[in-house]
Amino acid sequence: MNTTKPTMKTEDQVWTELRRHASAQLRPGFADRVLRAARAGAEAAPSLLGIFSLSAATAIICLAVVSLYRSANQNPVERDDIVAGWEKIAADSDEFAAK
Amino acid sequence: MESTQPTPSVDLIRRVQRGDPDAQRELIVAYQHRIAGFVYAVVGRSDAIEDITQLVFIKLVRAIAGLQKPEQFESWLFRLARNTCIDHLRRQKLRRIFTPFAPEHENVPEPAGAVGSEELDALRHALEQLRPQDRALLALVQEGRSHAEIAVTLRSTVAAVKARLHRAREHLREHYQAHHEN
Repeated sequence: MNTTKPTMKTEDQVWTELRRHASAQLRPGFADRVLRAARAGAEAAPSLLGIFSLSAATAIICLAVVSLYRSANQNPVERDDIVAGWEKIAADSDEFAAK
Repeated sequence: MESTQPTPSVDLIRRVQRGDPDAQRELIVAYQHRIAGFVYAVVGRSDAIEDITQLVFIKLVRAIAGLQKPEQFESWLFRLARNTCIDHLRRQKLRRIFTPFAPEHENVPEPAGAVGSEELDALRHALEQLRPQDRALLALVQEGRSHAEIAVTLRSTVAAVKARLHRAREHLREHYQAHHEN
């Protein structure tokens, strides 16, 4: 990106301008804000046990919701059909094993 | 390109690792401007600089205890900064997919002439055309990092760094000249 016009800035000068612009975006007291935020985050960070408990509780709730939903939506005829299907498979297996 | 800047002493890094707040502040002050420049080169938005730079240093404070080789602190810090910027850009991209009409207009480019000279506009425009990984590479070179140091930062080889850098410079030059001539 070497420049050709005499009035143009060199690549390094433009990068320096970019860095200067970026530095100017940091408000005074930046380091103190970072340290406050890091401390606040560390205090608010959940423990490993807390994360595990939350995951376990979420899994239990999900399973409970799924089984409740299934038992509420499955009618007796459908259930009997499924049981009959399994009984037929078991009978076929027995018959196959006996041969 | 700037010459390599003085690196913090191993003693300072060890004090930061032990959680000494004065050492933490000293380290942040020593690097905040360099990291801000790096963030701007990769992300390309003035309004994101402070937040992302802050995030980099929060990660530093939390993770520095695990740094095994304090003498490689700078490579570690710039890897942290690079990964934070790239994560930010990925999240932004995902957010745009799921909320394309979000009011914050996160990716509206800064208008030409809004932040500096014509040349800075051209550089910003040229950087925007590159992949974030290549922008980070060029910014690392501008930070005065050697090819070997960049290879450590990117967990790559010197040969791969040289090849990628050559391509990135070519692309930057093409886009810079095209924009500047317009």
